[in-house]
Amino acid sequence: MSLVELKSVVKRYGKNTVLRDVDLMIEKGEIIAIIGRSGSGKSTLLRCVNGLEPVQGGEVWVDGVAVHNPKSDLRALRARVGIVFQSFNLFPHLTVERNVTLGPRIVKGMSASDAAKLARDALIKVGLEEKIHAYADELSGGQQQRVAIARSLAMSPTIMLFDEITSALDPELVGEVLLVLEAMARDGMTMLLVTHEMGFARRVADRVVFMNQGKVWEEGPAKEVFAAPKTDELKSFLSSVLH
Amino acid sequence: MIREVSVTDVWYLVLAMRWTIFLTLLALSGGGAIGLVVAGCGASGSPVLRTLARGYVGVVQGIPLLVWLFIFYFGLSIMGYSLPAWIAATLGFSVYAGAFLGEIWRGALLSIPKTQWEAGRSIGLRFLEQLRYVIIPQAVRVAIPPTVGFTVQLIKNTSLAAVIGFVELTREGQLTTAATFQPFVVYLIVAALYFSLCYPLTVYSKALERTRRVAR
Repeated sequence: MSLVELKSVVKRYGKNTVLRDVDLMIEKGEIIAIIGRSGSGKSTLLRCVNGLEPVQGGEVWVDGVAVHNPKSDLRALRARVGIVFQSFNLFPHLTVERNVTLGPRIVKGMSASDAAKLARDALIKVGLEEKIHAYADELSGGQQQRVAIARSLAMSPTIMLFDEITSALDPELVGEVLLVLEAMARDGMTMLLVTHEMGFARRVADRVVFMNQGKVWEEGPAKEVFAAPKTDELKSFLSSVLH
Repeated sequence: MIREVSVTDVWYLVLAMRWTIFLTLLALSGGGAIGLVVAGCGASGSPVLRTLARGYVGVVQGIPLLVWLFIFYFGLSIMGYSLPAWIAATLGFSVYAGAFLGEIWRGALLSIPKTQWEAGRSIGLRFLEQLRYVIIPQAVRVAIPPTVGFTVQLIKNTSLAAVIGFVELTREGQLTTAATFQPFVVYLIVAALYFSLCYPLTVYSKALERTRRVAR
């Protein structure tokens, strides 16, 4: 069984269908970039993987857990599925350290000293150990996003989801966040990214999934998808984002 | 028997201020308990609970505080439940404070963005853990300045309890005036005492508004 299996997933908001019969398999260690126009269902798809959005049809299996089943305990799963948001969503009332240790302490019942050590390791990975006692409002956007990544990493996830994590950043801050992602990729992390950074997707992703009108419109190895798009929709999308 | 305002009179006024503070604290406790329930219901996902909370707030805020005091003091005694003035006053002020604190705290809870809940959920926190570690600490920061502001209103409004014979600062002022017939002096002292309670709180609440770390 693949690490993530989406089978005919349907997501509706009222009468508005956002995902139509989406199928997607992700193997352990794979890096998959989801691209597409805004409103194509990319972010929704990502949020269905860790159950932030309940689905109306189909099946979502992650690491053997039936996410589509409302009876499943998603708490244990979410501890293994990290997600990083476009708007960082750090806890503003807590220091960087406490942001990172909250999950390990409360969800995993880790002791304060073990959690602190874990937080330091995670912050070293994102290059921010010197900011351990800072608050979110004392950090730049890029730094906040790296703390958000460290917060997820501290849970030792088996897969990481990234929801347009550089879209809210000033252009000069995008690079530092992408560097962290590349380092995680080299470490063998399974990653599912919704992204507008086409250069990054081409360079780092194993596979690219192009979403259009709530469907997986076209998918394939990153190099092929960018070099030889098959559908007109992907061609027109690529020409609009690559200039 | 008319006499001058003496140091002893001033001292009695200061002592009577204790009952103003006492009544305020009782009203804050009772009102705080009611307010927690009202805020919890008002911010909950259940339409029934939300309607109940809205109904309570609407009814309480639509009736003058003085009328609430009359209901608990005179109304209940006619029905056979004769309450001491301080208990009737505590009940009246609790009902009143519960509605206002409930509204303040409900607003504070709802002011924390949905994304904070999601961030908590995403690291595996349960609903109550999200509330405890993520939402409430931030909501408290939002709620403290208006809560202190309301407390100042409450301190001043406890003077209404004088009407049902509860001897707090204002009632003591009335009694002193009756004995000395120097309302101007007496009420200036009463005013100064209220001011000495309220003004520091106002300054404090303004200072709190400047320093807070909350998601927007």
